[in-house]
Amino acid sequence: MSAEIYLDYAATSPLDPAVAAAMSDCLAHEFGNPSSQHAAGKRARALVEAARGEVAARVGAPSERIFFTSGATEANNLALKGSLARRGARTHLVTSTIEHRSVLDAARALEEAGVAVTYVPADSLGRVAPDDVARALRADTALVSIMHVNNETGVIQDVDAIGALCRARGVPLHVDAAQSVGKVPLDLGASPVAICSLTAHKVCGPKGVGALYVAAGVSLAPQMHGGEQEHGLRAGTIATHQVVGMGKAYALADAAREGPVLGALRDSLWRRLAAAVPGARLNGDPDRRAPHVLNVTFPGVEGESLRLALRDLAVSAGSACAADSPEASHVLTGMGLSDALAASSLRFSVGRFTTEAEIERAAERVAAEVDRLRALAAGSPAWCST
Amino acid sequence: MEYTPEVVRRFESPRRAGELRAGLPGLVSGEAEDRTLQVWVRFQLQVIDGAVRAARFAAFGCPHTIAAAGYAAEWVEGRLASDIGRLDIRQVESELGVPIEKRGKLLRIEDALAACGRALNKDVRKD
Repeated sequence: MSAEIYLDYAATSPLDPAVAAAMSDCLAHEFGNPSSQHAAGKRARALVEAARGEVAARVGAPSERIFFTSGATEANNLALKGSLARRGARTHLVTSTIEHRSVLDAARALEEAGVAVTYVPADSLGRVAPDDVARALRADTALVSIMHVNNETGVIQDVDAIGALCRARGVPLHVDAAQSVGKVPLDLGASPVAICSLTAHKVCGPKGVGALYVAAGVSLAPQMHGGEQEHGLRAGTIATHQVVGMGKAYALADAAREGPVLGALRDSLWRRLAAAVPGARLNGDPDRRAPHVLNVTFPGVEGESLRLALRDLAVSAGSACAADSPEASHVLTGMGLSDALAASSLRFSVGRFTTEAEIERAAERVAAEVDRLRALAAGSPAWCST
Repeated sequence: MEYTPEVVRRFESPRRAGELRAGLPGLVSGEAEDRTLQVWVRFQLQVIDGAVRAARFAAFGCPHTIAAAGYAAEWVEGRLASDIGRLDIRQVESELGVPIEKRGKLLRIEDALAACGRALNKDVRKD
């Protein structure tokens, strides 16, 4: 079997050598605690603040509104739980049915604690309508949480319109932007977004570090206690080398430069698949999606078999497949796909180190295996492909 | 999901996959499905003088289902027609290394072979 082709950048990405070098230098030379007042601590603090500045610059926010976390999952939890804890009598949360699990599971945890949650559905193209969000708002709504770029389909939600509607009703909008940086422009300072979750490892940065943007005037209750780091919002010694890595990754993650390159690779893959695989279907709004994600359904092939057949390609299922009872992707079924079609879907995601040769080879492999599996299922009933 | 080398081998190079030529004498077929488990299996058997001379399968399902259906097609070929329904799917699970949670899918293989047996008995009664 040939070497694996990595097309799963939406899951995580390889460390950029420049990021690795910056982190390595930090690990080798700057061990100080950024909270310490001696020289070693001050040098570490300077590195942290420089990285904060890089992150802030990339997303168009003031440095002092960026708070480091262990990743987007922690940031999402802090945004939701921290908001609801500070909103007094407001005990209602609005989110969508197609959010990442770190938002949906946090919302369910809040439900168990007595918070009312409204889940706004997406349409067949994976879009959450701003008007639907507006209709879900109540007098006691404490927070709206809608992701920017969907991690399975790449569809970009209209967070500016949603944010404007929320702002008019005095409700803060939280946006999970884990898939956005380096792919689509983010200008938080000019947007109505109140809180925004960020991560490093989707943009060739390290795992284990992320950040939360919190606009001035928005109050969150800390979810960890044990220190006054990050202005009391996130206790715990700052992992300087991780933060340095995130800063470097964000300095390199230029959507204006990389976005068109990624979009060309994604479009090339889709053109090849559409030409070689009869019936292949694109999932998500073709006119409003991030350039790095391609989600395709291959009707007539069973998802688990497709993934094993293509194990030389690092791609993700459009669904999480339980052993005996396939659990279809909540995003794809939320867009109206049947369980069978959702299970027959794959997410391809390209990144900085993807090559056209890899795209060509991946398309050939997918076409060959879909053809083989369809031949194995010749004569199967209609439900297998609808 | 982990797969044994035997499952991977049979999944990648399934023997007796496909169809027998239409119009062959003694041709019977049987199929079974479980939509909730995303599995469908069909067998075609050529039965001559009370014995299975040839077997082919088609399957929509997980790798374990495809591997086990191929195993079943090999198993049934050469057996007496009266033995068609005697495949022990637990034995198949054991030989291929199929996890217990896949049994619901693999039982459709037993069902499809049983459907072949019923089709054969129907043909015999017609004769």
